[in-house]
Amino acid sequence: MKKKVLTVDDSRTIRNMLLVTLNNAGFETIQAEDGVEGLEVLEECNPDVIVTDINMPRLDGFGFIEGVRRNDKYRAVPILVLTTESDAEKKNRARQAGATGWIVKPFDPAKLIDAIERVTA
Amino acid sequence: MAGKKAEKGNLKLVAVLDLNEASVLHGQLMNARGHDVTIDASEVQRVGVQCVQVLMAAAKAWEEDKKTFVFEKVSDAFRKTMQLIGINIDHLLAKEIRQ
Amino acid sequence: MDMNEIKEIFFQECEEQLAELESGLLKLNDGDRDPETVNAVFRAVHSIKGGAGAFGLDDLVSFAHVFETTLDCVRSNKLEPTQDVLKVMLKSADVLADLVSASRDGGGVDEGRSRGLVKELEALARGELPTGGAAEAPKPAAPKPAPAPAAAAPAAPAPTDESGFQPVPFSFDDEEETIVPSVYEVTFKPRRELYAKGNEAALLLRDLTRVGEMSINCDTETLPHFDKMDPEGAYFSWKISVKTEKGEQDIRSVFEFAEWDCDLDVKLAETTDEELPMVPVPFDLSALDDDSASEEDAAEDAASIQAAAAEAVAAAETATNVSKMAAAASRVEKKESQAAAAAAAAAANAANAANSAGQTIRVDLDRVDRLINLVGELVINQAMLSQSVIENDTTGTSSINMGLEELQQLTREIQDSVMAIRAQPVKPVFQRMSRIVREVADMVGKSIRLVTEGENTEVDKTVIDKLAEPLTHMIRNAVDHGIESPEKREAAGKNPEGTVKLTAKHRSGRIVIELVDDGAGINREKVRQKAIDNDLIPADANLSDEEIDNLIFMPGFSTADKISDISGRGVGMDVVKRSIQALGGRISISSRPGLGSTFTMSLPLTLAVLDGMVVTVAGQTLVVPLTAIVETLQPEASSIHSFGANQRLISIRNSFCPLVDVGRILNFRGTQANPVEGVALLVESEGGGQRALMVDAIQGQRQVVIKSLEANYTHVPGIAAATILGDGRVALILDVDAVVAASRGQSLKQESSLKSDMSLAAAG
Repeated sequence: MKKKVLTVDDSRTIRNMLLVTLNNAGFETIQAEDGVEGLEVLEECNPDVIVTDINMPRLDGFGFIEGVRRNDKYRAVPILVLTTESDAEKKNRARQAGATGWIVKPFDPAKLIDAIERVTA
Repeated sequence: MAGKKAEKGNLKLVAVLDLNEASVLHGQLMNARGHDVTIDASEVQRVGVQCVQVLMAAAKAWEEDKKTFVFEKVSDAFRKTMQLIGINIDHLLAKEIRQ
Repeated sequence: MDMNEIKEIFFQECEEQLAELESGLLKLNDGDRDPETVNAVFRAVHSIKGGAGAFGLDDLVSFAHVFETTLDCVRSNKLEPTQDVLKVMLKSADVLADLVSASRDGGGVDEGRSRGLVKELEALARGELPTGGAAEAPKPAAPKPAPAPAAAAPAAPAPTDESGFQPVPFSFDDEEETIVPSVYEVTFKPRRELYAKGNEAALLLRDLTRVGEMSINCDTETLPHFDKMDPEGAYFSWKISVKTEKGEQDIRSVFEFAEWDCDLDVKLAETTDEELPMVPVPFDLSALDDDSASEEDAAEDAASIQAAAAEAVAAAETATNVSKMAAAASRVEKKESQAAAAAAAAAANAANAANSAGQTIRVDLDRVDRLINLVGELVINQAMLSQSVIENDTTGTSSINMGLEELQQLTREIQDSVMAIRAQPVKPVFQRMSRIVREVADMVGKSIRLVTEGENTEVDKTVIDKLAEPLTHMIRNAVDHGIESPEKREAAGKNPEGTVKLTAKHRSGRIVIELVDDGAGINREKVRQKAIDNDLIPADANLSDEEIDNLIFMPGFSTADKISDISGRGVGMDVVKRSIQALGGRISISSRPGLGSTFTMSLPLTLAVLDGMVVTVAGQTLVVPLTAIVETLQPEASSIHSFGANQRLISIRNSFCPLVDVGRILNFRGTQANPVEGVALLVESEGGGQRALMVDAIQGQRQVVIKSLEANYTHVPGIAAATILGDGRVALILDVDAVVAASRGQSLKQESSLKSDMSLAAAG
């Protein structure tokens, strides 16, 4: 079974980077463009891990994480947050919302895969 | 569903025993209180600490009740996770599978 | 998809984000205080920064970072977005746009300008209010002497920052101890939240085994009775001893994600008194990894190779960065062919997911152009087919005719739909104008706001592309010459801040763009004098106000007293007019002294087709653009009046209108035709006033596909383009304005006049 990763990011650039990196690393990748879509897609794709951005239209990363954690079926799914420059305040908020861990941008494939490996079995 | 209960006292654990399964497993074992229990962990691929806590608390309760609580089959992943987190289940293993 | 393609996507996205940024800032400038507007602005900059970081575009990252920080202050209500603040932000948006283009196309940016803005942005973030002219003024006494990009750098680490140039945050002792394996004692007690947030103690312990040799003791003492336990509680805790050559940091970093949700203690084992029974943990834990261990290996391979690539990148030029990563990625793909196949499947899945979400696709413009061309041919072909059927069908009521009508309908619809693919809103062009207004206004010391309306009006991309240049010129003119200085405006009792309004709308199958300024209007006396001085009109010419206003479109006309830097680059409004005409458009001006001027441009929605009236002139078939025609009439002998040697007028409803003999102007015939035997097309020409074009007969109206005459033959004076009619003949499309101008005495050049036997069969 390939591990399934749901990525939530409004930037087309980052979405494509995630897609290429995750596919190359042998993951199955499902993508959403914002928190609202992320929660919709979640129901269909049953991911092993979620990677989400924070700043997004409609529903931001904090709201999305809270939504996942409130979902009876998916509340245990590890969620990694893409943050910039180890922004302590944002990390804190993300943790309070229920994030499992974070990946510090700028985007680096190795860091991403490493973080995913850490939170998934 | 933490386990498919073929008959009371026989519990087959599902493949992924994560956070969500802890309550399910607890409920199923609750139902089996007072009965001898044989657990099949041969399908387990992942087991989280919370499910282990439930299983260990149950083992203790069964011991108090003087009922048997035994792992009849365990998967490699199950056995190794126990080893990793420092939980010894040797005394709970059915004789024929003890190493 | 490789990294180069992603970079391309990044730049496309930057364009969109920059547009979003600007329109958001302009909304804020108009008093919009919707938090979502601020958020959108923030996100735009944030997104650009994020992507730029991934591609190692450090200049872009550091500027975006400073910008973002200031925007964050606005977002968190620490900074009120006043007009002065927004002025700085709009300028910053311009610099950001410059940095994006510099990153994409190479070349530099005005560093002084961006440095100045970085200072201003930082001052704003610190809560210092802008001081109006502080923009360009160097601030030697600035509290922070460090140059801004450097200040921003630590916050936005470039790859090189991580590759070992920074001091390793270990103490010297720790480093010593990395040589001899030491034993660490780790106490780890998770809290309930650790599990609730998707972390798993077992996985953390698994990762800990990767640091070194490990023995473990699980404390189960706090585990409550089975009946009273919370299945999701955290009861177990661990004492672990780790024998490793690595340092304390490596152990702590295993718990990086969990440290807030657990009690963690890591220390060097002081004594060897192990009062607790420690169970050694075997290093082989492969069964705990995903059951498809090989795949995970592949994943790790990919990760490590990409990491290696990333390191190489850090040393190499940023430019090669991306391709190396891409190369590394593709190497992995080759090695793991089944993984690649699976990845492709996943990509397909993802594509499906994306399809269900997004409603747009990106198509290479060439493909659309080819389609449009083919549909053009189809339209011609259909017309030819219809015509030959009609000619051969004597009964005229066959079912073939019905079918053909449907075919015509369908072809027309296909054509419209295909044209719609290439239609785009004028928004991007309008947005560019706002930057020009800002910059020019700054240069000439005026305060001007640009108001735009109808930005979503759509027009063919080919038109949009050609619209920017004349529009830029006109905007510059309006700012430079149209709007008065703030002092003059105040003296005249006007708002010192001038307004330039740019609107777009659809009107009867054309797009009408209006540029309205509330400046001083045309100084008619000055314009008239200038025209006389330049021999453009005779000194005694009796011109209407409208005609005087339109003199500014005459070649070589410029009213500015001194040539200014901005709009006086040797091109005048005549150039604007010509480029608009080249698009099949018209431009006119109306002005009210003291109140401002209005430029009105009307352009075709597409350059591919045209609604035309097919007419006959001296045996030739010509097409007159329908948009030029006001009305058609059958002249009567009584309404024709001769005037001068060979000028004639036609009287229409009590006014006189010059009669223009098209056949004569185009040199189709040597003598004047008798107006009574032909038809007059009343056309409007921009120099004001109407003209009646004399043609022999009207054949009908139809949409024609425009074929460039220049591309296929050569420019012909008086002719705008060519087309192919239903019967396969080539017809020429009349350039109405050129013909009208010629009738004013500026005759078309003889040597290039049309010969009646001219063959243009190859034109299509």
